Amino acid sequence: MKSISLYTDNGSWIVRLHPFSKLFYLIAAILIPLISGHLWMFAVTVLASISFLMSSHMLRKAVPLIAFSFTIILTIFIIQGIFFKDNTSVLLTLGPLSFYKEGLLYSSRIGLNILNMLLSFSILVLTTSPSELVEELEKKGFSPKFGYIINSVFQIVPEMMGTMHTISDAQRSRGMETEGKLVTRMKAFIPLISPVVMSALTSSRERAIALEVRGFGANVKKTYLYSHPYTKQDQMMKWGSLTSLAAVIVLRVLHVL
Amino acid sequence: MSLIEIKNLKYRYPGAERLSLNDITMNIEKGQFIGIVGENGAGKSTLSQAFLGLIPQFYKGAYGGSVTIDGLSAKTTPVGVLCRKVGLVFQNPFNQLSGAKDTVYDEVGYGLQNLGIPAEEIHKRVESVLRRFGIWEYRKRNPFDLSGGQLQRVAIASVLAMNPEILILDEPTSQLDPAGSEEVFQAVDELTATGITIVMIEHKLEKLAEYCDKIALMHQGEVVAFDTPNMIFSRKDISELGVNVPAYTAFALKYGLRNQDGTYPATRRDLLKIIKADNADIRSLLKSCRNDLPDAQRNNPVKAIVGSETFSLSDLHFSYIEGAEIFKGINIGFDRRPTAIIGQNGAGKTTLVRIMKGLLKPGSGSVKLAGEDISKKTVAELASRVGYVFQNPDDQIFKYNVLDEVMFGPLNIGMSHEEAESHAHEALQTVGLEELCRKNPYDLELYDRKMVAIASVLAMDTDVIILDEPTIAQDYKGREKIKEIIRNESGKGKLVIAILHDMDFVADSFERVIAMAHGEILLDGTPHEVFRNREVLEKAALAPPHIVGLMEELEHEID
Repeated sequence: MKSISLYTDNGSWIVRLHPFSKLFYLIAAILIPLISGHLWMFAVTVLASISFLMSSHMLRKAVPLIAFSFTIILTIFIIQGIFFKDNTSVLLTLGPLSFYKEGLLYSSRIGLNILNMLLSFSILVLTTSPSELVEELEKKGFSPKFGYIINSVFQIVPEMMGTMHTISDAQRSRGMETEGKLVTRMKAFIPLISPVVMSALTSSRERAIALEVRGFGANVKKTYLYSHPYTKQDQMMKWGSLTSLAAVIVLRVLHVL
Repeated sequence: MSLIEIKNLKYRYPGAERLSLNDITMNIEKGQFIGIVGENGAGKSTLSQAFLGLIPQFYKGAYGGSVTIDGLSAKTTPVGVLCRKVGLVFQNPFNQLSGAKDTVYDEVGYGLQNLGIPAEEIHKRVESVLRRFGIWEYRKRNPFDLSGGQLQRVAIASVLAMNPEILILDEPTSQLDPAGSEEVFQAVDELTATGITIVMIEHKLEKLAEYCDKIALMHQGEVVAFDTPNMIFSRKDISELGVNVPAYTAFALKYGLRNQDGTYPATRRDLLKIIKADNADIRSLLKSCRNDLPDAQRNNPVKAIVGSETFSLSDLHFSYIEGAEIFKGINIGFDRRPTAIIGQNGAGKTTLVRIMKGLLKPGSGSVKLAGEDISKKTVAELASRVGYVFQNPDDQIFKYNVLDEVMFGPLNIGMSHEEAESHAHEALQTVGLEELCRKNPYDLELYDRKMVAIASVLAMDTDVIILDEPTIAQDYKGREKIKEIIRNESGKGKLVIAILHDMDFVADSFERVIAMAHGEILLDGTPHEVFRNREVLEKAALAPPHIVGLMEELEHEID
């Protein structure tokens, strides 16, 4: 089954970290540059994220995400560079187009922010199993029902894509053309929707029974199969992130930054 | 007090007119292995759901009488509490998965987590149950990636891990190959030694008779009889109640071999005991036995045009994943004799027919239909010539009423509306569902949905009809119906190919049998040739039809 989760277990140190340590890093990495208000702070967190990804051999998997964001960032640069409302000082002129300093600064803030968020999110997403994250959250009091919903999305969406493939096979088996030109393939997509939804609904009733049979409705405190002890690295990641965040806040309040 | 006490149980589904369970009273003692038999629609699955309180707590509807499990009322005790005592395994293992866990190991542990069992205990139980069912090696796999047979074992394991006192199994082996179902029966039988009580709904009567202490015979919502297998299968009215008898009982009936109490034996062991005790003339028994072996090829051949080639596959190579070839050069031709493909789960049977249908493209080699290379044709272009009924009918149902569903194919392949409609009605009549043609197929039971799927392919009037496991979920009548369809279609000069796990059915309905294992064709011959070839059967992990097995034992006796 093709998984929709981006997680792979390559055994690196970040994969072995507790999901919460990565969550702490994520929060700190996103908030620090925003609170500090300085552009160079983005460079710090972006570099930190990149070096983490590199050291865990995950950078290559993050590249497509970043490449995708570049197209958006580039558009922002062009539009804001030319049309930003506070544009006054021209920085460079390309033929009939003039790019302004204010617009470009503004767009670099947005662009760096997007890049920073993407990188810090990819650390969490690429290196953490969704079910482990949910399990750790449930241990801290997150509702098991919501936990189930999140987990099942990762299982049932690929399952539905598989069903879609089978139903499409069945439709072409009975003479509906689904191969060839784009128009043919698009036309073939519409009759797929209702059987896929119907079969999902039918199986959801059975799944509800399956869950009951497996004690989902038992009113006892759930136990968990795995415990993920906090290692020294976890402590370093957690406290490193939290103290940096606190430091930035303090410095900001004291107007040092 | 009995472990399970059912008193005057009546139940009607919401919106239904007829009672699905009609005044059932029975007691089941601790440690018994109980079988439930009856034709489809007799109320077997409904009864199984009443044990766990899913009826009436989940399904609502009108409920009367009582079901008491170890002193707890199934009507009022929440399912979440009852599930500690009663485990239920469904017919379709795919729907039994929690959908929340990404490995087999975690899936099996899931129910235990919900019950608040300490982690060390969960690990212990999960390991022991995975090993018992031979699925320990799959523990890290995603359950959705397993085959039906493997998945059914995961489903049973995940219920058993919860240590229920009572285990209810609703046709647990319908998706399994013979070796797989034997494993399940043995594993379940071993469980009874641990004191667990088992209730099993099953159409494989020989197996049921072998393992059960008692059998409940159901008909139209009632339990007509609750007795030992010998008593149940010796009833004169059993076929009127839509239930066949085990092959051994039929044999005993034919030759008047009775137990001392006047009943007929239901298992091979009992039958052999009688034969030996009676000092019956084994030689003459064997001779008559050979004469009435189920063998469609010899007994009643379809007047098929032997030799007129339909499919020819040469030097066929195929792989799903590069480097892991499944077919390493298959060569085979098909004429118009009804042909069964047999073999273990994962032998490559479905892959082979999917290539012939065009759903999979071969890596190399050629696939010709009536001399024409079809590898470049789209599946839709082939649809008017090759029909394919999927194993799971739910994969091929897309419309909201049965008639539209059956007309879908004919309309696609260019029939006019009138023509399509008349073909559809004819096909529905053939499968016996004409009166349900306005119903929504999603509201039908699995066995009827399978028939709708068959009708929807018959209506297309294709030259070749491929059936993937047509007998799944069918009772005696349904199987007879399918047998008749195969004969009729072959009689019309069509090539019928079926993938099957039911060897008695194969011997009875097919003139050619292809045995496969590990992507290779082991043997291709008449049922007689294949089923008398011990070596091939062993290689393919198949058991011969019951009567062939009996004959072999008798022959051994003479030697």
